[in-house]
Amino acid sequence: MVDVSQHELVPEHTVLEEDELEEVLSEYDIDRTDLPKIKRNDPALPDEAEVGNVVKIVRDSRTTDQAVVYRLVVE
Amino acid sequence: MTEVDYDVSDDMIAVVEDTNLPRRLKDDVYEELEGRPDATVEDADELAKAVETRYVDTRVDPLDPVGTVSAQSIGEPGTQLTMNTFHYAGVAEIDVTQGLPRLIELVDARKTPDTPMMTVHLEDEYATERERAHEVVWNIEATKILALGDVSTNVADMRVQISLNRDTLEERMITPEEVAEIIEDELGVSTVQQGTEIQFGPEEPSYRDLLQLVEELRDITFKGIEDISRVVIRREEMDDGSEEFVLYTEGSAFGDVLEIEGVDASRTTCNNIHEIRRNLGIEAAREAIIEETNNTLAEQGLDDVNVRHLMLVADIMTNRGEIESIGRHGISGSKESVLARAAFEVTVNHLLNAAIHGEIDDLDGVTENVIVGKPIKLGTGDVDLRMGSIGSGSSGGGSGSQAD
Repeated sequence: MVDVSQHELVPEHTVLEEDELEEVLSEYDIDRTDLPKIKRNDPALPDEAEVGNVVKIVRDSRTTDQAVVYRLVVE
Repeated sequence: MTEVDYDVSDDMIAVVEDTNLPRRLKDDVYEELEGRPDATVEDADELAKAVETRYVDTRVDPLDPVGTVSAQSIGEPGTQLTMNTFHYAGVAEIDVTQGLPRLIELVDARKTPDTPMMTVHLEDEYATERERAHEVVWNIEATKILALGDVSTNVADMRVQISLNRDTLEERMITPEEVAEIIEDELGVSTVQQGTEIQFGPEEPSYRDLLQLVEELRDITFKGIEDISRVVIRREEMDDGSEEFVLYTEGSAFGDVLEIEGVDASRTTCNNIHEIRRNLGIEAAREAIIEETNNTLAEQGLDDVNVRHLMLVADIMTNRGEIESIGRHGISGSKESVLARAAFEVTVNHLLNAAIHGEIDDLDGVTENVIVGKPIKLGTGDVDLRMGSIGSGSSGGGSGSQAD
């Protein structure tokens, strides 16, 4: 099986801890369901990610150095 | 202290790092300072502050209709795109859909592009030695019987006769025994194989069955991937000056190709955003949408469309974890408001369905408010102005409007 995380199009995905998540949500003043979504069967998702978790994605951005985005894992 | 790769003093680093600039702009400031050895810390401070002011100025204001601006910014240059499907022999003589048809294909999120293709990068010795690179080609390109030898029908004996070409077999690394075996498996007939000659025929003598067998024989893929009809191999110079072989394919089977030995699974891409989404995930698909739309515009000399607009389009298309098209069946069709949906396409159907189901429109969006003639909640339309009659020091006064 190919390790997709090695592909240059795939940014780094990490599962966000609950307390970090609280910080993010309060910073933006949103609910976790307001976040963009990622499917549970997404090949780039870390194995330990479960539905309801939020993954932190660090992209190499075209407009700035690095961009951090979050996605909620959905079914 | 942040590590900086530029030859500037620590004090300068301190003043620049203190600003609210993104990394890239900070680096630009350092580069400028580095080029002026006689610049003082005060100069550095002034420069950094000036850049910061300009940066803050050019940021999008709150309540700016970024989507509308993006639509205009892509739409206007879009009028200059080639309207007809002009195929062109670009990289390695492979036909690729260009211009407007390609752009439409992307935002419509078509399941398969008009001209699917892959760019396959190779690793290690496969990338540097032509013979090794060819091994990969034979594993990818679909090999049909006509490429391996001649097929003839002997009507008198009701037999199909194949005479294989020994050189081609050797080159493509396939033996006559393997060919015979594949034919037996696929067609369910028993074959007689002698050297490079293979013979078989229908169980009962029947002219129709014989022709049928020949037809089916032509469709069998003996080696490689069924969907890939052609592979072109090209020697290309890489960014670092080295040269390596890159394969371009007509047709795509991204998942299958990634598994083939010799293929560099970290750089190989295809132009089907759905295949990318399936094999690499939604984030890679977003990246691919930006890359593809950007390249389509750039190829037509329209690379002055700011990439932020394309990023916004890609963000919206991938927002729900799968690729959605822009338009009636995708983003616009899934809007909350009945009136907004009805204003887009197939008005009557939307209104009728809404009436049947007793839908309620909260009038939150732009379109529905334009329809009913209320101010839209964008820009100054969503700002409530409070006139300061009671002097409240520095924060009040006429100039300060506050979002409520």
